[in-house]
Amino acid sequence: MTAETDLRPAPDLRPAPDGPGGWFESRTGIRELAAALLHVRIPVEARTMYFGGIALFLFMIQAGTGTLLALYYKPTPDAAYDSVISIMSNISFGWLIRSVHHWAANLMILFVVLHLLRVFFQAAFKRPRELTWLMGVGLLGITMVFGFTGYLLPWDQRAYWATVVGTEIAGSVPIIGEQLLLLLRGGADVTAATLSRFFGIHVLVLPIALAGLLAIHLTLVHQLGLANPKKIDPMPGPPPSSARKFFPDYVLDEVIAWYLIIAILVVLASIFPASVEAKANPLETPPETKPEWYFLAVYEFLKLVPKLIGILLPMVGLAILTIWPFLERSPEVLMRRRKIVVAFATFTLVVGIYLTGVGLGFFTVPEFLHFA
Amino acid sequence: MHASTRHAALRTALIVGSLGLFLAAAAVASAQDPSASPGADASASPAAPSPTVAVEVAPNIPFDLVAPTATPAPLIPGPTAPPPIAHPSNGTTNTCYECHVSVNVQQRTIAEKWQASIHGQNGVGCADCHGGDPTSDRMGIAMDPEKGFIGKPDRLATVGVCGSCHSDPSVMKQYGLPTDQYAKYWTSVHGQQLLAKNDTQVAICIDCHGVHDVKKTTDPSAQVFAPNVPELCASCHADAKKMEPYGIPTNQYDVYKLSVHGKALLEDGDLRAPSCASCHGSHDAKPPTSDTVVNVCGSCHTTTEELYKQSRHAELGAAAPKCWTCHGTHDVTQPSARLFFHPTPPEYTCDTCHDLQNKTLRIELARFKNEQDRRCDSCHHPDSDIYAQVEAIDGALTVAQTAYDGAQAKIDEAAGYGMIVSDADVALSEAKTGIIQAQAAVHTTKLTLVAPPAAEAKKKADEAAAMAQAKLDETVFRRSAMVVVVVILLLNVVALYFVKRRIEHRA
Repeated sequence: MTAETDLRPAPDLRPAPDGPGGWFESRTGIRELAAALLHVRIPVEARTMYFGGIALFLFMIQAGTGTLLALYYKPTPDAAYDSVISIMSNISFGWLIRSVHHWAANLMILFVVLHLLRVFFQAAFKRPRELTWLMGVGLLGITMVFGFTGYLLPWDQRAYWATVVGTEIAGSVPIIGEQLLLLLRGGADVTAATLSRFFGIHVLVLPIALAGLLAIHLTLVHQLGLANPKKIDPMPGPPPSSARKFFPDYVLDEVIAWYLIIAILVVLASIFPASVEAKANPLETPPETKPEWYFLAVYEFLKLVPKLIGILLPMVGLAILTIWPFLERSPEVLMRRRKIVVAFATFTLVVGIYLTGVGLGFFTVPEFLHFA
Repeated sequence: MHASTRHAALRTALIVGSLGLFLAAAAVASAQDPSASPGADASASPAAPSPTVAVEVAPNIPFDLVAPTATPAPLIPGPTAPPPIAHPSNGTTNTCYECHVSVNVQQRTIAEKWQASIHGQNGVGCADCHGGDPTSDRMGIAMDPEKGFIGKPDRLATVGVCGSCHSDPSVMKQYGLPTDQYAKYWTSVHGQQLLAKNDTQVAICIDCHGVHDVKKTTDPSAQVFAPNVPELCASCHADAKKMEPYGIPTNQYDVYKLSVHGKALLEDGDLRAPSCASCHGSHDAKPPTSDTVVNVCGSCHTTTEELYKQSRHAELGAAAPKCWTCHGTHDVTQPSARLFFHPTPPEYTCDTCHDLQNKTLRIELARFKNEQDRRCDSCHHPDSDIYAQVEAIDGALTVAQTAYDGAQAKIDEAAGYGMIVSDADVALSEAKTGIIQAQAAVHTTKLTLVAPPAAEAKKKADEAAAMAQAKLDETVFRRSAMVVVVVILLLNVVALYFVKRRIEHRA
């Protein structure tokens, strides 16, 4: 492919002037915009593994299934549990909608994290894409808050007590912990006030926030194009020596990936439908309360080290992760030239996976590693 | 569901604690009143006059039961409680503590135990039990016998020292404590032994409540806290050397630990479950006699007691089979249908149930020593009408239980597929209620009272099974639909792949 190929014009989406498309085009002038949107700079060396696009697709699924669930869900302690049971038992395909929502939530977190790891190891966050990274970390945070707030809504024992534990961890944050706990719970305990605000945050605040950040994130991706994991990106210099069509090539790959994701969701929802435990009972503490898998690493870490360290270190880690593009400023993108960074990140990742495995009961932490 | 099932099982054990009671009782009843045939309501027809019943007490049986025909020895009256020990007091000074805490390690330990005790926390000082003058810091004065110092009272006197306050309503009123313990103690086997033989080995107040470290009975660290009571009693009663002079068995604690009561109290921490004191009494500890044992069990199993009183067994009075006849005493286990029959009928002789000389019924306690001998057909012969009634009762319960188990299995299977089975669970819990009612009704020995709840239980269990089956059918539909949808999706993927190849080929 040559430089001339890179400069080829955007796809010609011009409709026939006398067809329905022409009628619409003549009244909106949308063609120019669509053509511009469907033109993203993609080096042939780029290997996105479609993680970001899959996360976007899962968010769209969440928005759709979430809207359907909201038609029947009742966000009060008296009615929430029964409404979820009704969705699962009485509403046509309610079980499917809720189960897809459940599994898509988990997959969305998984793919957002995979997307972040891909960007990190490929150094795709480096200049000029620092802001894209910042928006991405923000999206990860919102996705996890989505998970945390949505987890309470079924109002069963698992939901209730996981929220009690989760908010207590938030309440342990130095200085602002007490106020943060009250803010999250809407009072001293997990009550109807907590359920109301979690529901409001889950269906109003977070979707708007995520849509806003996502718009900025995608705009930046569109404007800057994808990074080249093999070479130092010349942006904003001349265009890369070779490029790949965003539409239809890349979009087609994404759509194939989305179809596979739908298939996975259907299988998961059919074989492992979302469950419901006994109705929440504030007077009956279950023998073991654990958060969702994506918080397990932090949860297990808290058990191993003094409480203050267990709270502060993940926060500091998250802060460092957020500003990482401003700390690793060398233009090098190849992993063999970022050995220390890659080694440290790999170590952190392995520890995170190990602690998650500990939380899931696959491993036991040796006694000498208990510092609490 | 599973946790609640476990709790339900526990409740069942507690409520239906005397299921097989009617076994031996029906034997006695059948021999006396053949009219108690299947379907007959014994209460509707007056029973024959109660026969004179001879009850034999076999030696060394584990029940510790006293035969009702044995004339109990008259109680030796206990002494009147002495007045509380008088001593000088300014209300705040306790020179005893101030000196003893610094004498040596042993004395300091005693002083600190007292300070942490319920007495120390409520201003009951050293002189209240030992006398003397706690306002003087001079040992010669503080511990002067002329000042009332009595030192360490002997064991008999110790009961009086405790009773001097604890039997005085004017002292105990402020603490909301009863004042009958002192009087009760002297009626106990322990107190009587102390009075009759000056046997100072027997338990006195401090052996259970502690000496200086007396604690509230609700304090989990107290020896007298309910879950700690069995071990406390066993500290003497499981000691073969200590019990040798009294000729009583020492295996009660080991047997109790394995019983449904012991497991509930000691393993599950269920404070509703009985400890030794629940049946034997605490301050007035004594073995329940066979004519009071129904009342003892009935103090918790109230409904079962009422049902038992409706039975033909209860009409037989003192000679009637009691709770222990079928369920044992310390070794009460989870009742079940096994209590109806031996695997093979035992051998019967006329004198199994009859006193041939006096032509009366008789019940040998020794025959029920082993759990596997506590069966209906221990007394009821297979050719008797009562035996047929027992079979009918067993059949009604078995049908209900089988339907219940089948429904439970289907619900578990549906739940395993991730189906919401709460509606089936509700129906099954109603079936469980019916089974419990039917099992409880067994104590009436009347099929007419057992059959209806058993039939209702079967009906509810069948409904639950139908609901669970509908869920299982739904899972089949879901999985079939899943396969179709996935195939369609994969076909789309294949189609898109070919489109992609075509585009790449054109490029």
